[in-house]
Amino acid sequence: MDFKFGEKEEKLRKEIREFTKKELPPGWLSSMLEEESDDKDWAFAMSMSKKLAEKGWLTMSWPEEYGGKGASLWEQLVYSEEASYWGIPGVTMGIGGVDWVGPSLMMFGSEEQKNKYLPLIASGEPDGIWCTAYSEPNAGSDFAKIRTRAVREGDEYVINGQKIWTSAAHRARWCWLAVKTDPDAAKPHNGISVFVVDMKSKGITVRPLMNYVGLHIFNEVFFDDLRVPAANLVGKENNGWYQLMHSLGYERGSIAGRCYGYNKRILDELIVYTRGNGLFREREIRHKLADIAVELETQKVLGYETIWKMSKGDSPVYEPSRDKVFNDHILERLAMLGTEILGGYSQIDPLSRNCKWTKLNGHMEKLFWLFLGFAFAAGTDEVELNIVGQFGLKLPKSY
Amino acid sequence: MDFDFSEDQVMIIDSARKFLEKECPKDKVRELKEDEKGYDPELWSRMAEMGWMGLILPEEYEGTGMDFFDLTILMEEMGRNILPAPFFDTVALCSLPILEYGTSEQKKRFLPKIACGEEIWTLALTEPSASYEPSGVELRATSLQEDYVLEGTKLFVPYANVADRLLVVARTSQEGITVLIVDSGSQGIRTEVIPTTAHDKQCEVVFDKVRVPKDNVLGEVGKGWEIVEFLLQRVSVLKCAEMLGGAQFVLEMANSYAKERVQFDKPIGSFQAIQHKLAEVFINVEGLRRLVYEAAWNISTGSPSRLLTSMVKAKANEVYQQTCIQGVKVHGAIGFTEELDLSLYFLRTKASEFMLGDTGFHRERIAVELEDYQPLFMSV
Ligand SMILES: Cc1cc2nc3c(=O)[nH]c(=O)nc-3n(C[C@H](O)[C@H](O)[C@H](O)COP(=O)(O)OP(=O)(O)OC[C@H]3O[C@@H](n4cnc5c(N)ncnc54)[C@H](O)[C@@H]3O)c2cc1C
Repeated sequence: MDFKFGEKEEKLRKEIREFTKKELPPGWLSSMLEEESDDKDWAFAMSMSKKLAEKGWLTMSWPEEYGGKGASLWEQLVYSEEASYWGIPGVTMGIGGVDWVGPSLMMFGSEEQKNKYLPLIASGEPDGIWCTAYSEPNAGSDFAKIRTRAVREGDEYVINGQKIWTSAAHRARWCWLAVKTDPDAAKPHNGISVFVVDMKSKGITVRPLMNYVGLHIFNEVFFDDLRVPAANLVGKENNGWYQLMHSLGYERGSIAGRCYGYNKRILDELIVYTRGNGLFREREIRHKLADIAVELETQKVLGYETIWKMSKGDSPVYEPSRDKVFNDHILERLAMLGTEILGGYSQIDPLSRNCKWTKLNGHMEKLFWLFLGFAFAAGTDEVELNIVGQFGLKLPKSY
Repeated sequence: MDFDFSEDQVMIIDSARKFLEKECPKDKVRELKEDEKGYDPELWSRMAEMGWMGLILPEEYEGTGMDFFDLTILMEEMGRNILPAPFFDTVALCSLPILEYGTSEQKKRFLPKIACGEEIWTLALTEPSASYEPSGVELRATSLQEDYVLEGTKLFVPYANVADRLLVVARTSQEGITVLIVDSGSQGIRTEVIPTTAHDKQCEVVFDKVRVPKDNVLGEVGKGWEIVEFLLQRVSVLKCAEMLGGAQFVLEMANSYAKERVQFDKPIGSFQAIQHKLAEVFINVEGLRRLVYEAAWNISTGSPSRLLTSMVKAKANEVYQQTCIQGVKVHGAIGFTEELDLSLYFLRTKASEFMLGDTGFHRERIAVELEDYQPLFMSV
């Protein structure tokens, strides 16, 4: 048993802290889901992606030949924790570039795909930005029921259909697209394939969907006779489900540290704020803060356990789902407590940057208006609990 | 960062599990509920032979010199199986403070007897105020020549009915608290077992002009609260480990039942309302496990954290209780009976929650730590 980080990790922590001090405005904090909405925020995020790439941090766990540093999972964890504590924007390269497109390509992509797309992501340039299109109007949690169809014609596939909730499609250069290649497969899971699609292609229409506070996070994406070279198929035809399940594990694995870092920062902000205005002296408030502090410490060590299992070469099955559910609970509590602490001021629109009455730079309102989105994205609580029940406790399938 | 157990630790876990399953089956646990002593002396000496009482005492005191983490995982096994015996009380509440604060004379005199299973000890700390704050200590120790004279009442003193000696936390001056080593046979001590749900032989102990030689002070006169803090900040993790073991077992019981019990032609575990309950419990038990290990490891390696220990106790209190409540729900009416082993665990939760601080107590201690702590974003 050993709960200590190594020297390498501690050194990295220090470097990142120095970096943030130099590169980020004082008091800065940003959260996921936010940066792709506003043009100015997006430009700043992209400038940070570039700097992170120069530092070698953006894709640190990738092998050197693809623009990484071969960093350990523990180094990556430290980076994720710090990056989100300080709110460094631009860490993901759109939706999934760093977290799962890259790792999936390394596992299943052709040499040509690896050589072309991986260095682009690692460069931190706009040409390395991805969106991920899985969900459809009729296929959310039940993702295997997607209908968007790809039909092979000679050296190409012709794609028709519609995706929805596609985050960052309006910023992305590439789309990581799941489609049906065999609609008649006995099990719907066995008819899915994954393609890389150039968002500049003819036959793609992106239509914005606004979230309720007015952020432009996601989109509808329509495909009308979109022609994609057969070489853009990732892995094997009809093997997409299996490939995606693998990469989902990556996504969730990489998220543990990021969630903890962000939550810790929010808690720290609330502690300082309530100490400043005297609310901390109210037993109810300080006890709620104490309770959340306990949950955060628990989240931290659970996340470490997941990384530890991965670092031993196990591929975690239910652990990332466990960590996601745990995070969703924490976010909800933080959001409710944060706005309770702000009281009347929590009514202020989080997007109004220059309102003199905004408290804590609007972070608590943002969290409150975003936490439900976090909870749905990448699998709802209920679906994650199904996974924990089925694979963690070996209970019979419940649906 | 590495969460693997060492080979020695795996051995401790395996041998403890086998030993307890064989020597302390649930029939025995039930039998001891009705037993006047509340423990089985024969089992006690076998435990001593296994080296458990002296597990982390140095060899010079007849111990085996293992570390705090090793004792933590042993306690987890005891909680998993339920071991009705004054082990936590003797070893955790008394031998550890003696080892930490005793004079070499006291250590030589008392520790080997504990290690060999010859003596049972307990801690007499709480009083009718049922508080773990210093203000709760009202029992007076008045100086009279070479002795202190004790006058007052201690409440919820575990196993005082069988203890050979007690560590008594007494008020020696307005501000001063002192810990005294007291022979249970001293004149003026009256002990009465309180009827607790856990049947864990917690006692009311009345001290009526009990004389204790001044040599029997543990640590320094007037600074006894430091010893209590030592218990609250470190030893409580061992109680949490015991609770973790219990919670894990209850979860396993409920999980198996959910797979076996069929209603509406399906195992009830296939109903989401049941499955999600169990999944939430499972997540919290796994979280508690890592927290307990983190705190125990910090203590083992010499960097105990007041904040973390309080977090662990607050979490353990909640998780153990919730696990039992949800576990009973999953079982339905059978869960409401004495017959089901789950009840043995559930009935012990209140005692574990209270021991060394309930949730509110530790929440407040966490808050006190947070009040002074310097957040990272302000310090860089
Ligand atoms: C902010 C945000 C960003 C997103 N970004 C992307 C993206 O970039 N790309 C992409 O492809 N998708 C994206 N999504 C979509 C996301 O993956 C889906 O929202 C999610 O999979 C759930 O699908 P749904 O919204 O259709 O809800 P549904 O599946 O219709 O679920 C509705 C409700 O029913 C419950 N439910 C469904 N099935 C079960 C079951 N078996 N057991 C118990 N309860 C069940 C759900 O938990 C939920 O409460 C995003 C969503 C959000 C909110």
